[in-house]
Amino acid sequence: MLCDNAFEGRVWGGAVIKIITMFRPTIIVHGGARQFTPDTRDLVQEGVKAAARQGYAELTKGGSAMDAVVAAVSAMEDNTVFNAGHGSRLNLKGQVEADAIVIDGRNLGSGAVCGLQGCSNPVQLARLVMEKTNHCLLTADGAREFMESQGIAAVPSSELVTERARIELEQHVKFSSAVENLVAPRSAPPPSSSCDTVGAVAMDANGNLAAATSTGGITAKLPGRVGDSPIIGSGAYADNTVGAVSTTGCGESIMKVCLARRVGELLEKGKTAQEAAEHALEFMSGRVGGAAGVIVLSQYGNAGACEVGHHFITENMAWAAIDEGQLRWGVDPGQEMNEII
Amino acid sequence: MFEPAIIVHGGAGTHPSEWKKREPYLAGVKDATLQGHAKLARGGSALDAVEAAVIALENNPLFNTGHGSVLNLKGNVEMDAIVIDGRTLSSGAVCGVRGCPNPVRVARLVMEKTNHCLLTGEGAQDFMESQGILPVPDSQLIVPGMRLAWEKAVLTDKASSLPAASQRTASDLPPGCDTVGAVAMDAHGNVAAATSTGGTTAKLPGRVGDSPIIGAGAYADSSVGAISTTGDGESIMKVCLARRTAELLETGVPAQESAARALRFMHEKVGGEAGVIVLAKDGNRCHVARHFISTTMPWVAVNNGCITWGIDQGQEESASLE
Repeated sequence: MLCDNAFEGRVWGGAVIKIITMFRPTIIVHGGARQFTPDTRDLVQEGVKAAARQGYAELTKGGSAMDAVVAAVSAMEDNTVFNAGHGSRLNLKGQVEADAIVIDGRNLGSGAVCGLQGCSNPVQLARLVMEKTNHCLLTADGAREFMESQGIAAVPSSELVTERARIELEQHVKFSSAVENLVAPRSAPPPSSSCDTVGAVAMDANGNLAAATSTGGITAKLPGRVGDSPIIGSGAYADNTVGAVSTTGCGESIMKVCLARRVGELLEKGKTAQEAAEHALEFMSGRVGGAAGVIVLSQYGNAGACEVGHHFITENMAWAAIDEGQLRWGVDPGQEMNEII
Repeated sequence: MFEPAIIVHGGAGTHPSEWKKREPYLAGVKDATLQGHAKLARGGSALDAVEAAVIALENNPLFNTGHGSVLNLKGNVEMDAIVIDGRTLSSGAVCGVRGCPNPVRVARLVMEKTNHCLLTGEGAQDFMESQGILPVPDSQLIVPGMRLAWEKAVLTDKASSLPAASQRTASDLPPGCDTVGAVAMDAHGNVAAATSTGGTTAKLPGRVGDSPIIGAGAYADSSVGAISTTGDGESIMKVCLARRTAELLETGVPAQESAARALRFMHEKVGGEAGVIVLAKDGNRCHVARHFISTTMPWVAVNNGCITWGIDQGQEESASLE
């Protein structure tokens, strides 16, 4: 479905009636599903709220859902508290390898990058993959060459690596070598190791939907490891006739069940955004284990508004949503704070 | 006890119309299928069977995978592959991997030896070497036909990275330029899927298509069935074609119709051509089916003591397995 303007034609008993439909611009963002430590909790909350505001600002000035999700995710990539862009977690070699995706609900157009080094804003490069190539996903050196062909210079690793990420890698390596002496090599990573990602979904004033997700992956991942984030149907999904989804959490679990697509299937079967989020996560947890979080927008309803859903089965998930002049946010299960904007 | 079955495809596209030129494709897929079936007959797992079938096709220079892969814009070989174990939904995959004679084997190692589902680029190559698999130079993987196709694409500006993929006609592609895959069920009722490809001729370096993506290039769940896809990678990815086929199976739609409806949805929604092989669980048996909206797709199946095969639309020949 293409919604280039706010007019919609419907046929009633043979007559064609043009209806002016006002769509309610909406955005919801997440800053990762994991257990947040006390020192990062406030920063993460403020970070998702700021990202939601930036995305919403795009919507209110007439920008597209795609503009909004890219703006929101870029804000979180620039914020070193989040595991994306600056502040990304490090692989086993101490490098940042980024994965990101955008999906346009109008035509299912998509662009993504994975295993990308030297990029400050992977989500913006993902958008360029969609707009400037005939492909949906570019990896590693090829992605980097494409980035440079677009006039974006690679940034040195030192600019993307934070002290926090470096310490987390050191702790993880120390923990793993201690654990290896006691249990089988493939034991679970320590709790401080994060499996989180940032993302956003939005609906614009024309009723179009878009989704974006971006991540540095997991601390001490094998070099070249790609998780769910850049994968259509896993890290994100968007279709104007269905809804828009972004996921975060245990990447391998999300991939195995195609979590974002599963949320889409449930929306198609008539579940609300909230129900779809909850049921999909319940299925994932039961079938393959692991924990994750999901943000969802449904297709717009009669009043031009879409349903907003979020659910997580991790300890926390930082999220923030804006519609109808109200900003809502939370970090703990069941928590919802709000303020008028 | 379950009656094992397997179905294998050698790529959706436009194969030569002369029998003399198309027969080797069918023969290659048949050989791969029998190799996979032999694993099942000896009590091997569905995973062993699909891996064996795909390895046979990777080793066959006729097919766009492993030896015989197409070349990217720079004239290099970059491959993608996946395996999925329907018992646990575990998966292993590689994308953008170079110097790898059997990507599907490395994909299985990713699943069995790491905590991850997908490795890319240099990391994938380092992992491959850590498993004792030596990289091979591109010269060992490139065949004259694919080099010729690359030269033609690059010189005549028909590179797949330039015009819209959905506007490419089948005649733009070199013959048999596509992905291979297999799905199987073993005597324990477990299913598995595997898909492997060199991608598209003159693709942008680093371009990854549907093949290594769970839900796009393959899907497997022992409570439902298994699927492998081939064709216009970007179209397949956008609609999560393999997962979409499985969704239909889950609602009780028969295998053939699931494949057909999923492909019709894809074509109407985003354009492009593709093919699908499906194995659907049904009690202690299964149904195997295939559907494609390209001109041709060589496929071979073994089920219920019968071997069936085809390459053209609507073609299905069969013989007793003996």
